[in-house]
Amino acid sequence: MILSFFDQFMSPTWLGVPLIALALTLPWIMYPTPSSRWLNNRLLTLQGWFINRFTQQLLLPLNLPGHKWALIFTSLMIFLITLNLLGLLPYTFTPTTQLSLNMGLALPLWLATVIIGLRNQPTAALGHLLPEGTPTLLIPVLIIIETISLFIRPLALGVRLTANLTAGHLLIQLIATAVFVLLPLMPAVAILTATVLFLLTLLEVAVAMIQAYVFVLLLSLYLQENI
Amino acid sequence: MLSRLVLVSGPAFKSSGSFGACVVQASRSLHSSPQSLAPVPPLPEKGGKVRHGIIPEELFQLLYPKTGVTGPYMLGTGLLLYLLSKEIYVVNHETFAAASIGAVVVYGVKKFGPQVAAFADKLNQDKVSKAQEVKDLAMTSLAQAVEDEKKEQWRAEGRPMLFDAKRNNVAMLLEINHRERLHLVTNEVKKRLDYQIEVQNLHRRMEQEHMVNWVEKNVVSSITPQQASASLPCSSPGFLLSTPVRQMELFPTFRFGDLYLYLLWPPGRGSALVFRAVYIC
Repeated sequence: MILSFFDQFMSPTWLGVPLIALALTLPWIMYPTPSSRWLNNRLLTLQGWFINRFTQQLLLPLNLPGHKWALIFTSLMIFLITLNLLGLLPYTFTPTTQLSLNMGLALPLWLATVIIGLRNQPTAALGHLLPEGTPTLLIPVLIIIETISLFIRPLALGVRLTANLTAGHLLIQLIATAVFVLLPLMPAVAILTATVLFLLTLLEVAVAMIQAYVFVLLLSLYLQENI
Repeated sequence: MLSRLVLVSGPAFKSSGSFGACVVQASRSLHSSPQSLAPVPPLPEKGGKVRHGIIPEELFQLLYPKTGVTGPYMLGTGLLLYLLSKEIYVVNHETFAAASIGAVVVYGVKKFGPQVAAFADKLNQDKVSKAQEVKDLAMTSLAQAVEDEKKEQWRAEGRPMLFDAKRNNVAMLLEINHRERLHLVTNEVKKRLDYQIEVQNLHRRMEQEHMVNWVEKNVVSSITPQQASASLPCSSPGFLLSTPVRQMELFPTFRFGDLYLYLLWPPGRGSALVFRAVYIC
Protein backbone atom coordinates (compact mmCIF):
# COMPACT_ATOMS: atom_id res chain seq x y z
CA MET A 1 0.00 0.00 0.00
CA ILE A 2 1.39 3.39 -0.93
CA LEU A 3 1.10 6.03 1.69
CA SER A 4 0.24 9.49 0.59
CA PHE A 5 0.36 12.57 2.66
CA PHE A 6 -3.39 12.69 2.82
CA ASP A 7 -3.78 9.41 4.62
CA GLN A 8 -3.37 11.18 7.93
CA PHE A 9 -6.67 12.90 7.23
CA MET A 10 -8.57 9.72 6.62
CA SER A 11 -11.17 8.88 9.22
CA PRO A 12 -9.58 6.23 11.40
CA THR A 13 -10.86 2.69 11.29
CA TRP A 14 -9.48 -0.46 12.78
CA LEU A 15 -10.47 -3.79 11.42
CA GLY A 16 -13.40 -2.06 9.83
CA VAL A 17 -14.55 -0.42 13.03
CA PRO A 18 -14.73 3.35 12.72
CA LEU A 19 -12.87 5.02 15.53
CA ILE A 20 -14.10 8.52 14.90
CA ALA A 21 -16.36 8.35 17.94
CA LEU A 22 -13.34 7.51 20.12
CA ALA A 23 -11.32 10.23 18.49
CA LEU A 24 -14.03 12.72 19.34
CA THR A 25 -14.81 11.60 22.88
CA LEU A 26 -11.50 10.33 24.33
CA PRO A 27 -10.02 13.81 24.79
CA TRP A 28 -12.69 14.28 27.45
CA ILE A 29 -10.75 12.09 29.89
CA MET A 30 -7.99 14.65 30.02
CA TYR A 31 -10.17 17.06 31.97
CA PRO A 32 -10.77 16.12 35.63
CA THR A 33 -14.27 16.50 36.98
CA PRO A 34 -14.60 19.39 39.38
CA SER A 35 -14.74 17.95 42.88
CA SER A 36 -16.77 19.12 45.82
CA ARG A 37 -13.58 19.92 47.72
CA TRP A 38 -12.90 23.51 48.59
CA LEU A 39 -9.21 23.37 47.62
CA ASN A 40 -8.27 21.30 44.61
CA ASN A 41 -5.07 20.11 43.05
CA ARG A 42 -3.21 22.30 40.60
CA LEU A 43 -4.75 20.86 37.45
CA LEU A 44 -8.28 21.34 38.62
CA THR A 45 -7.56 24.82 39.96
CA LEU A 46 -6.06 25.89 36.65
CA GLN A 47 -8.88 24.33 34.67
CA GLY A 48 -11.49 26.10 36.74
CA TRP A 49 -9.64 29.40 36.53
CA PHE A 50 -9.24 29.14 32.75
CA ILE A 51 -12.88 28.29 32.14
CA ASN A 52 -14.05 31.13 34.37
CA ARG A 53 -11.75 33.69 32.81
CA PHE A 54 -12.55 32.64 29.26
CA THR A 55 -16.30 32.72 29.79
CA GLN A 56 -16.10 36.07 31.50
CA GLN A 57 -14.03 37.57 28.67
CA LEU A 58 -16.17 36.11 25.92
CA LEU A 59 -19.48 37.20 27.39
CA LEU A 60 -18.29 40.72 28.19
CA PRO A 61 -19.72 42.37 25.03
CA LEU A 62 -22.89 40.26 25.07
CA ASN A 63 -26.10 41.47 26.62
CA LEU A 64 -28.03 39.39 29.12
CA PRO A 65 -30.01 37.09 26.77
CA GLY A 66 -26.71 36.20 25.12
CA HIS A 67 -25.43 34.74 28.37
CA LYS A 68 -27.51 31.64 27.68
CA TRP A 69 -24.85 30.70 25.13
CA ALA A 70 -22.06 30.63 27.73
CA LEU A 71 -22.02 26.87 28.11
CA ILE A 72 -21.99 26.03 24.43
CA PHE A 73 -19.32 28.60 23.63
CA THR A 74 -16.96 27.54 26.39
CA SER A 75 -17.40 23.85 25.80
CA LEU A 76 -16.93 24.38 22.05
CA MET A 77 -13.73 26.27 22.75
CA ILE A 78 -12.35 23.56 25.03
CA PHE A 79 -13.34 20.90 22.52
CA LEU A 80 -11.68 22.56 19.55
CA ILE A 81 -8.53 23.56 21.37
CA THR A 82 -8.06 20.05 22.73
CA LEU A 83 -8.62 18.39 19.39
CA ASN A 84 -6.27 20.78 17.66
CA LEU A 85 -3.46 20.46 20.18
CA LEU A 86 -3.73 16.70 20.44
CA GLY A 87 -3.57 16.48 16.68
CA LEU A 88 -0.07 17.88 16.71
CA LEU A 89 1.25 14.75 18.37
CA PRO A 90 2.62 12.15 15.97
CA TYR A 91 0.41 9.40 14.61
CA THR A 92 -2.77 11.14 15.82
CA PHE A 93 -5.89 11.87 13.91
CA THR A 94 -7.26 15.40 14.10
CA PRO A 95 -11.04 15.40 13.71
CA THR A 96 -11.08 19.14 13.02
CA THR A 97 -9.27 18.56 9.74
CA GLN A 98 -12.51 17.07 8.45
CA LEU A 99 -14.69 19.62 6.73
CA SER A 100 -17.75 17.61 7.68
CA LEU A 101 -17.09 18.15 11.40
CA ASN A 102 -16.38 21.85 11.06
CA MET A 103 -19.35 22.50 8.84
CA GLY A 104 -21.43 20.47 11.23
CA LEU A 105 -20.36 22.80 14.00
CA ALA A 106 -20.43 26.09 12.10
CA LEU A 107 -23.65 25.90 10.08
CA PRO A 108 -26.16 25.06 12.83
CA LEU A 109 -24.69 27.58 15.23
CA TRP A 110 -24.60 30.33 12.60
CA LEU A 111 -28.13 29.51 11.52
CA ALA A 112 -29.27 29.65 15.14
CA THR A 113 -27.93 33.19 15.48
CA VAL A 114 -29.63 34.29 12.24
CA ILE A 115 -32.96 32.79 13.21
CA ILE A 116 -32.79 34.37 16.67
CA GLY A 117 -32.07 37.71 15.04
CA LEU A 118 -34.92 37.39 12.56
CA ARG A 119 -37.35 36.28 15.25
CA ASN A 120 -36.61 38.84 17.94
CA GLN A 121 -35.62 41.90 15.97
CA PRO A 122 -36.29 41.34 12.24
CA THR A 123 -35.88 44.96 11.26
CA ALA A 124 -32.48 45.26 12.88
CA ALA A 125 -31.40 41.90 11.49
CA LEU A 126 -32.30 42.91 7.98
CA GLY A 127 -30.85 46.34 8.62
CA HIS A 128 -27.43 44.77 9.03
CA LEU A 129 -27.54 44.11 5.32
CA LEU A 130 -27.07 47.82 4.60
CA PRO A 131 -24.15 49.58 6.23
CA GLU A 132 -24.67 53.16 7.34
CA GLY A 133 -23.85 56.06 5.13
CA THR A 134 -23.85 54.32 1.77
CA PRO A 135 -24.59 56.44 -1.27
CA THR A 136 -28.10 55.89 -2.65
CA LEU A 137 -26.95 54.52 -5.97
CA LEU A 138 -24.93 51.75 -4.36
CA ILE A 139 -27.75 50.47 -2.14
CA PRO A 140 -28.96 47.55 -4.35
CA VAL A 141 -25.44 46.38 -5.08
CA LEU A 142 -24.50 46.63 -1.48
CA ILE A 143 -27.52 44.67 -0.29
CA ILE A 144 -26.65 41.84 -2.63
CA ILE A 145 -23.06 41.91 -1.47
CA GLU A 146 -24.06 41.92 2.19
CA THR A 147 -26.48 39.02 1.65
CA ILE A 148 -23.76 36.98 0.00
CA SER A 149 -21.45 37.90 2.86
CA LEU A 150 -24.10 36.76 5.34
CA PHE A 151 -24.55 33.38 3.70
CA ILE A 152 -20.90 32.77 3.25
CA ARG A 153 -20.28 33.08 6.98
CA PRO A 154 -20.83 29.43 7.94
CA LEU A 155 -18.79 28.32 4.98
CA ALA A 156 -16.02 30.66 6.00
CA LEU A 157 -16.12 29.47 9.59
CA GLY A 158 -15.90 25.82 8.68
CA VAL A 159 -13.42 26.14 5.90
CA ARG A 160 -11.16 28.46 7.88
CA LEU A 161 -10.68 25.91 10.61
CA THR A 162 -10.33 23.00 8.22
CA ALA A 163 -7.93 24.75 5.92
CA ASN A 164 -5.69 26.05 8.67
CA LEU A 165 -5.32 22.74 10.37
CA THR A 166 -5.00 20.68 7.25
CA ALA A 167 -2.42 23.01 5.81
CA GLY A 168 -0.48 23.00 9.04
CA HIS A 169 -0.46 19.23 9.31
CA LEU A 170 0.53 18.82 5.71
CA LEU A 171 3.41 21.24 6.07
CA ILE A 172 4.67 19.45 9.13
CA GLN A 173 4.55 16.15 7.30
CA LEU A 174 6.27 17.56 4.23
CA ILE A 175 9.07 19.25 6.06
CA ALA A 176 9.54 16.25 8.35
CA THR A 177 9.80 14.07 5.26
CA ALA A 178 12.32 16.48 3.81
CA VAL A 179 14.40 16.21 6.98
CA PHE A 180 14.07 12.44 6.92
CA VAL A 181 15.14 12.16 3.32
CA LEU A 182 17.92 14.73 3.51
CA LEU A 183 19.49 13.34 6.67
CA PRO A 184 21.63 10.63 5.06
CA LEU A 185 22.34 12.78 1.99
CA MET A 186 23.00 16.32 3.22
CA PRO A 187 23.01 16.43 7.03
CA ALA A 188 23.72 20.16 7.19
CA VAL A 189 20.70 21.00 5.04
CA ALA A 190 18.72 18.48 7.06
CA ILE A 191 19.62 20.31 10.22
CA LEU A 192 18.51 23.61 8.71
CA THR A 193 15.29 22.00 7.65
CA ALA A 194 14.90 20.57 11.13
CA THR A 195 15.15 24.12 12.49
CA VAL A 196 12.42 25.17 10.07
CA LEU A 197 10.39 22.21 11.28
CA PHE A 198 10.84 23.28 14.90
CA LEU A 199 9.68 26.81 14.11
CA LEU A 200 6.78 25.47 12.10
CA THR A 201 5.74 23.30 15.00
CA LEU A 202 5.75 26.35 17.25
CA LEU A 203 3.58 28.12 14.71
CA GLU A 204 1.23 25.20 14.52
CA VAL A 205 0.77 25.17 18.26
CA ALA A 206 -0.14 28.83 18.11
CA VAL A 207 -2.43 28.30 15.11
CA ALA A 208 -4.19 25.44 16.83
CA MET A 209 -5.07 27.63 19.78
CA ILE A 210 -5.86 30.74 17.78
CA GLN A 211 -8.12 29.01 15.26
CA ALA A 212 -10.24 27.46 17.95
CA TYR A 213 -10.53 30.85 19.66
CA VAL A 214 -11.39 32.63 16.39
CA PHE A 215 -14.13 30.12 15.61
CA VAL A 216 -15.84 30.74 18.94
CA LEU A 217 -15.19 34.49 18.85
CA LEU A 218 -16.81 34.90 15.45
CA LEU A 219 -19.83 32.95 16.57
CA SER A 220 -20.14 35.22 19.61
CA LEU A 221 -19.90 38.23 17.29
CA TYR A 222 -22.67 36.90 15.08
CA LEU A 223 -24.71 36.35 18.20
CA GLN A 224 -24.01 39.88 19.39
CA GLU A 225 -25.41 41.29 16.16
CA ASN A 226 -28.59 39.35 16.37
CA ILE A 227 -29.57 38.99 19.99
CA MET B 1 -35.17 0.27 53.89
CA LEU B 2 -36.63 -2.80 52.34
CA SER B 3 -33.19 -4.38 52.40
CA ARG B 4 -33.10 -3.97 56.15
CA LEU B 5 -36.45 -5.70 56.32
CA VAL B 6 -35.18 -8.58 54.22
CA LEU B 7 -31.94 -8.68 56.21
CA VAL B 8 -33.87 -9.07 59.40
CA SER B 9 -36.16 -11.66 57.92
CA GLY B 10 -33.34 -13.37 56.02
CA PRO B 11 -32.13 -15.65 58.80
CA ALA B 12 -35.74 -16.42 59.59
CA PHE B 13 -36.32 -17.42 55.97
CA LYS B 14 -33.10 -19.35 55.79
CA SER B 15 -34.34 -21.75 58.35
CA SER B 16 -37.63 -22.09 56.47
CA GLY B 17 -38.03 -23.64 53.05
CA SER B 18 -38.55 -20.54 50.81
CA PHE B 19 -35.16 -19.38 49.60
CA GLY B 20 -36.48 -17.29 46.75
CA ALA B 21 -36.40 -13.75 48.04
CA CYS B 22 -33.67 -13.92 50.62
CA VAL B 23 -30.90 -15.61 48.65
CA VAL B 24 -30.06 -12.35 46.90
CA GLN B 25 -29.90 -10.41 50.15
CA ALA B 26 -28.46 -13.26 52.22
CA SER B 27 -24.95 -12.37 51.08
CA ARG B 28 -25.28 -9.14 53.02
CA SER B 29 -24.82 -11.03 56.24
CA LEU B 30 -21.40 -12.06 54.93
CA HIS B 31 -20.16 -8.47 54.54
CA SER B 32 -17.35 -7.79 56.97
CA SER B 33 -16.51 -4.10 56.55
CA PRO B 34 -18.88 -1.24 57.32
CA GLN B 35 -20.44 0.19 54.19
CA SER B 36 -19.49 3.71 54.93
CA LEU B 37 -17.19 6.04 53.03
CA ALA B 38 -16.94 8.64 55.78
CA PRO B 39 -14.65 10.16 56.82
CA VAL B 40 -13.32 10.74 53.32
CA PRO B 41 -9.53 10.43 53.26
CA PRO B 42 -7.75 13.64 52.40
CA LEU B 43 -6.52 14.22 48.86
CA PRO B 44 -2.76 14.26 48.41
CA GLU B 45 -1.47 17.81 48.16
CA LYS B 46 1.11 17.20 45.48
CA GLY B 47 0.90 14.84 42.52
CA GLY B 48 2.78 11.58 42.34
CA LYS B 49 6.52 11.86 42.04
CA VAL B 50 7.82 11.42 38.50
CA ARG B 51 11.23 11.17 37.04
CA HIS B 52 12.01 12.82 33.71
CA GLY B 53 8.55 14.26 33.61
CA ILE B 54 6.54 11.21 32.69
CA ILE B 55 7.93 8.06 34.32
CA PRO B 56 6.51 7.49 37.79
CA GLU B 57 8.97 7.08 40.64
CA GLU B 58 7.24 3.85 41.66
CA LEU B 59 8.79 2.03 38.69
CA PHE B 60 12.26 2.93 39.87
CA GLN B 61 11.44 1.86 43.40
CA LEU B 62 10.00 -1.39 42.08
CA LEU B 63 13.10 -2.27 40.11
CA TYR B 64 15.65 -0.99 42.62
CA PRO B 65 15.97 -4.16 44.76
CA LYS B 66 16.68 -6.36 41.75
CA THR B 67 18.51 -4.15 39.30
CA GLY B 68 19.78 -1.21 41.31
CA VAL B 69 19.83 2.37 40.14
CA THR B 70 20.48 1.77 36.43
CA GLY B 71 17.81 -0.93 36.11
CA PRO B 72 14.95 1.13 34.67
CA TYR B 73 17.29 2.94 32.31
CA MET B 74 18.59 -0.36 30.99
CA LEU B 75 15.03 -1.51 30.57
CA GLY B 76 14.14 1.63 28.64
CA THR B 77 17.16 1.50 26.42
CA GLY B 78 16.70 -2.19 25.76
CA LEU B 79 13.06 -1.73 24.93
CA LEU B 80 13.80 1.13 22.56
CA LEU B 81 16.55 -0.73 20.80
CA TYR B 82 14.36 -3.79 20.49
CA LEU B 83 11.58 -1.76 18.92
CA LEU B 84 13.97 -0.07 16.53
CA SER B 85 16.02 -3.04 15.51
CA LYS B 86 13.05 -5.28 14.95
CA GLU B 87 11.39 -2.46 13.07
CA ILE B 88 8.34 -2.74 15.26
CA TYR B 89 8.64 1.02 15.36
CA VAL B 90 9.66 2.26 11.91
CA VAL B 91 11.60 5.50 11.71
CA ASN B 92 9.93 7.77 9.21
CA HIS B 93 9.07 11.42 8.80
CA GLU B 94 6.71 11.24 11.75
CA THR B 95 9.69 10.58 14.00
CA PHE B 96 11.11 13.96 13.19
CA ALA B 97 7.74 15.61 13.60
CA ALA B 98 7.51 13.85 16.97
CA ALA B 99 10.99 15.05 17.87
CA SER B 100 10.14 18.63 17.07
CA ILE B 101 6.83 18.63 18.93
CA GLY B 102 8.56 16.85 21.81
CA ALA B 103 11.17 19.57 21.89
CA VAL B 104 8.46 22.24 21.96
CA VAL B 105 6.64 20.49 24.80
CA VAL B 106 9.76 19.93 26.87
CA TYR B 107 10.87 23.51 26.37
CA GLY B 108 7.45 24.79 27.34
CA VAL B 109 7.21 22.68 30.48
CA LYS B 110 10.73 23.49 31.62
CA LYS B 111 10.37 27.19 31.04
CA PHE B 112 6.81 27.84 32.17
CA GLY B 113 6.15 24.89 34.45
CA PRO B 114 7.23 26.46 37.73
CA GLN B 115 5.41 29.71 36.95
CA VAL B 116 2.17 27.92 36.16
CA ALA B 117 2.48 25.79 39.30
CA ALA B 118 3.15 28.88 41.39
CA PHE B 119 0.15 30.59 39.84
CA ALA B 120 -2.09 27.63 40.64
CA ASP B 121 -0.74 27.54 44.19
CA LYS B 122 -1.35 31.26 44.51
CA LEU B 123 -4.97 30.86 43.43
CA ASN B 124 -5.49 28.29 46.16
CA GLN B 125 -3.51 30.30 48.67
CA ASP B 126 -5.67 33.36 47.99
CA LYS B 127 -8.76 31.34 48.76
CA VAL B 128 -7.23 30.05 51.99
CA SER B 129 -5.94 33.43 53.05
CA LYS B 130 -9.34 35.04 52.52
CA ALA B 131 -10.96 32.50 54.78
CA GLN B 132 -8.06 32.73 57.21
CA GLU B 133 -8.47 36.49 57.31
CA VAL B 134 -12.10 36.16 58.27
CA LYS B 135 -11.19 33.60 60.91
CA ASP B 136 -8.35 35.74 62.27
CA LEU B 137 -10.55 38.80 62.37
CA ALA B 138 -13.20 36.86 64.24
CA MET B 139 -10.62 35.53 66.65
CA THR B 140 -9.05 38.91 67.34
CA SER B 141 -12.43 40.52 67.82
CA LEU B 142 -13.45 37.75 70.21
CA ALA B 143 -10.18 37.99 72.12
CA GLN B 144 -10.70 41.74 72.31
CA ALA B 145 -14.21 41.12 73.58
CA VAL B 146 -12.80 38.81 76.28
CA GLU B 147 -10.29 41.46 77.29
CA ASP B 148 -12.98 44.12 77.41
CA GLU B 149 -15.18 41.86 79.50
CA LYS B 150 -12.37 41.22 81.95
CA LYS B 151 -11.76 44.94 82.22
CA GLU B 152 -15.44 45.55 82.87
CA GLN B 153 -15.41 42.90 85.56
CA TRP B 154 -12.40 44.53 87.20
CA ARG B 155 -14.18 47.86 87.03
CA ALA B 156 -17.26 46.31 88.56
CA GLU B 157 -15.12 44.96 91.39
CA GLY B 158 -13.80 48.41 92.06
CA ARG B 159 -17.19 50.01 92.20
CA PRO B 160 -17.96 49.02 95.83
CA MET B 161 -14.70 50.68 96.80
CA LEU B 162 -15.89 53.80 95.07
CA PHE B 163 -19.18 53.61 96.88
CA ASP B 164 -17.41 53.13 100.20
CA ALA B 165 -15.26 56.15 99.57
CA LYS B 166 -18.28 58.22 98.67
CA ARG B 167 -20.14 56.93 101.69
CA ASN B 168 -17.17 57.88 103.86
CA ASN B 169 -17.11 61.32 102.33
CA VAL B 170 -20.74 61.87 103.02
CA ALA B 171 -20.41 60.53 106.55
CA MET B 172 -17.49 62.85 107.14
CA LEU B 173 -19.44 65.82 105.89
CA LEU B 174 -22.35 64.94 108.11
CA GLU B 175 -20.02 64.47 111.03
CA ILE B 176 -18.41 67.80 110.38
CA ASN B 177 -21.75 69.47 110.15
CA HIS B 178 -22.91 67.80 113.32
CA ARG B 179 -19.82 68.83 115.20
CA GLU B 180 -20.10 72.37 113.95
CA ARG B 181 -23.59 72.51 115.23
CA LEU B 182 -22.55 71.00 118.54
CA HIS B 183 -19.83 73.56 118.76
CA LEU B 184 -22.32 76.28 118.00
CA VAL B 185 -24.70 75.01 120.60
CA THR B 186 -21.95 74.69 123.14
CA ASN B 187 -20.79 78.19 122.44
CA GLU B 188 -24.25 79.64 122.77
CA VAL B 189 -24.92 77.78 125.96
CA LYS B 190 -21.58 78.81 127.33
CA LYS B 191 -22.30 82.41 126.45
CA ARG B 192 -25.55 82.32 128.27
CA LEU B 193 -24.04 80.57 131.25
CA ASP B 194 -21.12 82.97 131.26
CA TYR B 195 -23.59 85.79 131.24
CA GLN B 196 -25.33 84.32 134.20
CA ILE B 197 -22.02 83.82 135.95
CA GLU B 198 -21.02 87.36 135.26
CA VAL B 199 -24.32 88.54 136.54
CA GLN B 200 -23.83 86.49 139.68
CA ASN B 201 -20.28 87.72 139.98
CA LEU B 202 -21.46 91.20 139.59
CA HIS B 203 -24.05 90.71 142.24
CA ARG B 204 -21.54 89.16 144.54
CA ARG B 205 -19.03 91.87 143.94
CA MET B 206 -21.51 94.55 144.50
CA GLU B 207 -22.64 92.84 147.64
CA GLN B 208 -19.10 92.48 148.81
CA GLU B 209 -18.27 95.99 147.93
CA HIS B 210 -21.27 97.19 149.71
CA MET B 211 -20.49 95.04 152.69
CA VAL B 212 -16.92 96.14 152.71
CA ASN B 213 -17.93 99.69 152.49
CA TRP B 214 -20.38 99.19 155.25
CA VAL B 215 -17.84 97.37 157.34
CA GLU B 216 -15.20 99.95 156.72
CA LYS B 217 -17.57 102.72 157.35
CA ASN B 218 -18.57 101.17 160.55
CA VAL B 219 -15.05 100.38 161.56
CA VAL B 220 -13.78 103.72 160.66
CA SER B 221 -16.67 105.42 162.29
CA SER B 222 -16.13 103.30 165.34
CA ILE B 223 -12.50 104.22 165.58
CA THR B 224 -12.37 107.12 167.93
CA PRO B 225 -9.75 109.67 167.34
CA GLN B 226 -7.99 108.91 170.55
CA GLN B 227 -7.84 105.21 169.88
CA ALA B 228 -6.42 105.86 166.50
CA SER B 229 -3.71 108.18 167.72
CA ALA B 230 -2.89 105.91 170.62
CA SER B 231 -2.53 102.56 169.00
CA LEU B 232 -1.77 103.19 165.37
CA PRO B 233 1.45 104.85 164.09
CA CYS B 234 1.09 107.61 161.57
CA SER B 235 3.42 106.47 158.88
CA SER B 236 2.58 102.81 158.89
CA PRO B 237 1.41 101.88 155.62
CA GLY B 238 -1.87 100.20 155.12
CA PHE B 239 -3.67 102.00 157.86
CA LEU B 240 -5.96 104.84 157.53
CA LEU B 241 -5.80 107.88 159.82
CA SER B 242 -8.86 109.42 161.31
CA THR B 243 -10.12 110.91 158.27
CA PRO B 244 -13.71 110.74 157.35
CA VAL B 245 -14.67 107.90 155.11
CA ARG B 246 -15.87 110.23 152.48
CA GLN B 247 -12.49 111.56 151.88
CA MET B 248 -11.08 108.30 151.16
CA GLU B 249 -10.67 107.18 147.72
CA LEU B 250 -11.03 103.51 147.30
CA PHE B 251 -9.77 101.79 144.25
CA PRO B 252 -10.44 98.10 144.59
CA THR B 253 -7.58 96.56 142.71
CA PHE B 254 -6.93 92.93 143.43
CA ARG B 255 -9.00 90.13 144.69
CA PHE B 256 -7.41 86.93 145.82
CA GLY B 257 -10.34 84.75 146.69
CA ASP B 258 -11.68 86.39 149.86
CA LEU B 259 -8.75 88.74 150.29
CA TYR B 260 -9.22 92.16 148.89
CA LEU B 261 -6.27 94.43 148.24
CA TYR B 262 -7.18 98.06 147.89
CA LEU B 263 -5.14 100.80 146.50
CA LEU B 264 -5.68 103.92 148.47
CA TRP B 265 -4.80 107.49 147.89
CA PRO B 266 -5.65 109.38 150.79
CA PRO B 267 -6.20 113.06 150.24
CA GLY B 268 -3.81 115.59 151.44
CA ARG B 269 -0.52 116.82 150.39
CA GLY B 270 2.30 114.39 150.49
CA SER B 271 0.18 111.42 150.93
CA ALA B 272 1.43 108.28 149.23
CA LEU B 273 -0.42 105.62 147.35
CA VAL B 274 -0.88 102.83 149.81
CA PHE B 275 -2.16 99.35 149.69
CA ARG B 276 -4.66 98.19 152.12
CA ALA B 277 -5.51 94.58 152.57
CA VAL B 278 -8.93 93.71 153.75
CA TYR B 279 -9.95 90.20 154.39
CA ILE B 280 -13.59 89.79 153.83
CA CYS B 281 -15.10 86.48 154.55
